[in-house]
Amino acid sequence: MAKDSSETKVKKDRRGFGEKYAAAPTPVKVVAVTLLLVLVYALPLLRPPILTTNSIDFGTVMFRVIAFALVALGLNIVIGYAGLLDLGYVGFYAIGAYTTAVLTVYHYSWPFFLALPAAIVVTMISGVLLGAPTLRVRGDYLAIVTLGFGEIIRITVQNVEWVGASAGIKDIPHPTGIGAKPNPPFDQGGLFQVPRLQWDGFVPIVDLEHKTSFLAFGSRDAVPYYWLILTFLLLILIGDRMIKASRVGRAWEATREDEDAAELMGVPTFKYKLMAFALGAAIGGMSGSFYASSQAGYINPQSFPLLLSMLFVATVVVGGSGNRWGAIAGGALVAYLPERFRDFADYRLLAFGLALTVLAVWRPEGLFPPRRTRRAKAAEAEIDALEEGTENEEVTHA
Amino acid sequence: MLLEVEGLCVNYGHIEAIRDITFGVEEGTVTTLIGANGAGKTTTLKTLSGLRKVRAGKVIFDGTDITDMSPEKRVKMGLSQSPEGRGVFPGMTVRENLDMGGFVRRDKAGLAADLDRVMALFPRLNERISQVAGTMSGGEQQMLAIGRALMARPRVVLLDEPSMGLAPKLIQQIFAIIKEINEQGTTVLLVEQNAAQALKAADQAHVLETGELVRSGTGAELAGDDSVRAAYLGGDL
Repeated sequence: MAKDSSETKVKKDRRGFGEKYAAAPTPVKVVAVTLLLVLVYALPLLRPPILTTNSIDFGTVMFRVIAFALVALGLNIVIGYAGLLDLGYVGFYAIGAYTTAVLTVYHYSWPFFLALPAAIVVTMISGVLLGAPTLRVRGDYLAIVTLGFGEIIRITVQNVEWVGASAGIKDIPHPTGIGAKPNPPFDQGGLFQVPRLQWDGFVPIVDLEHKTSFLAFGSRDAVPYYWLILTFLLLILIGDRMIKASRVGRAWEATREDEDAAELMGVPTFKYKLMAFALGAAIGGMSGSFYASSQAGYINPQSFPLLLSMLFVATVVVGGSGNRWGAIAGGALVAYLPERFRDFADYRLLAFGLALTVLAVWRPEGLFPPRRTRRAKAAEAEIDALEEGTENEEVTHA
Repeated sequence: MLLEVEGLCVNYGHIEAIRDITFGVEEGTVTTLIGANGAGKTTTLKTLSGLRKVRAGKVIFDGTDITDMSPEKRVKMGLSQSPEGRGVFPGMTVRENLDMGGFVRRDKAGLAADLDRVMALFPRLNERISQVAGTMSGGEQQMLAIGRALMARPRVVLLDEPSMGLAPKLIQQIFAIIKEINEQGTTVLLVEQNAAQALKAADQAHVLETGELVRSGTGAELAGDDSVRAAYLGGDL
């Protein structure tokens, strides 16, 4: 009896933020979520001091942050849910970006909102094509094959004229806005305009000079792009939540924990791994598509180095592999920190590397580890406590 | 025969893991395969569940040739397995593990009934329903693995060394439960190194030696066989 109560106490302490949130009454939830959403959407206009970057436009940084969070969310399905180490994720990002570029400007002139679903479909198919032969191998081999894939994509686009070779593709059109003026820089007009805040130290001033046009995508203001990609991130987040709680999510979890046992339960593990791979690829492709048609409207093979794949994996690991909120936080951090450290000039990447190292030491299981990681940690402690206890009913076998 | 194995050969690369084995499992019985480490017992079970490719021979379940059938379809047909060692999902709770056992089923009412049945068989699992499987003792994990296999409501359940690594008292308990499962109408194919217990529990028994079936008979017959006694039951000790 005494043991039982101590167990529930441990459980209470282990309760994650998500569980605490779930226990809150509905009106509180609605208000909290609404406030949070407004805050997140308004962030690049509020430009809070300390958080805001000085040497680079905060809206641009925030767009990058969300683009990385989107990538992290996709890769989290592959690595965190299905347990497949994909080191060539940048390949899908590139395929999404190039599909968009080819369809909107280089060979065709589709509007962005038609090219986006096409890019998603193309990357999903490429995910299936890469996954079908390679997902039969396990562990390390998959990592190597995917690593090669990422490089193959980059080297291929570098050498194929049809996709612009090393010169890349420029003048990729921006998404079609509503009420936007049809001449450069395109970001006048829009449905309505929103002023932003300017900070004098810690005193906010409403800046009426620089207004952001709602739903006008131009080359000067990154905030409309931020809103657009953020909206898609939220949609993916909802989908992610639904699929994780479904049969599919359980099948992924079982496959990751013990593939043979999962097969014995009647889980067609190959099918589910392929599904995770294709879904992850599609989300990576979506992010690439947004990247291609963002402000700069220019991509070339150098935009997709191997290093980017490593950073993508870092987003998932730093955040806490297997937790969607962790992935988002990891993506945000990996995108944000190098920009924040721009003041350090040449030492920027050193500072970034140090930050990642500190994080790895301080929270080896990631910023927001999923429930199972927290459980495993608690279990370890429990077992340590029992080591000399009375529960030694089993004969230890070598 | 509910399950028939005819001339089964399975290779790992060039190495023959099992060679031309033939045996049957009669509905409603407990059949056991005994043998030393590396005799091919686990390979046989994995092949029956569809995890290993067959080089030659046939597996017939309830009159249907299932040799090339996917593991998923075999589970749906009523053939489920409790894997060797601690083949539970360590990061999932007891409840989540049991739910995985019923993965291929969609009948909610039937699943609830089977959950109750498993809880009755293993009261210990009921006590630990929300505990993470990886933190339980070896015996509890074994019970969970068996319970999970039962959640598929199998016609024949394959048990791979349920007594491995357990204390004698627990082994007794596990074998008592196996008997109970059988009495409730589930056919059991049991693979064991613990020959003494397995032969006692079995209606039919087969001895595997380096991939071949060398001896078959009723449990009692083999328990009385001199060569079996010498090799697997520690002689006259």
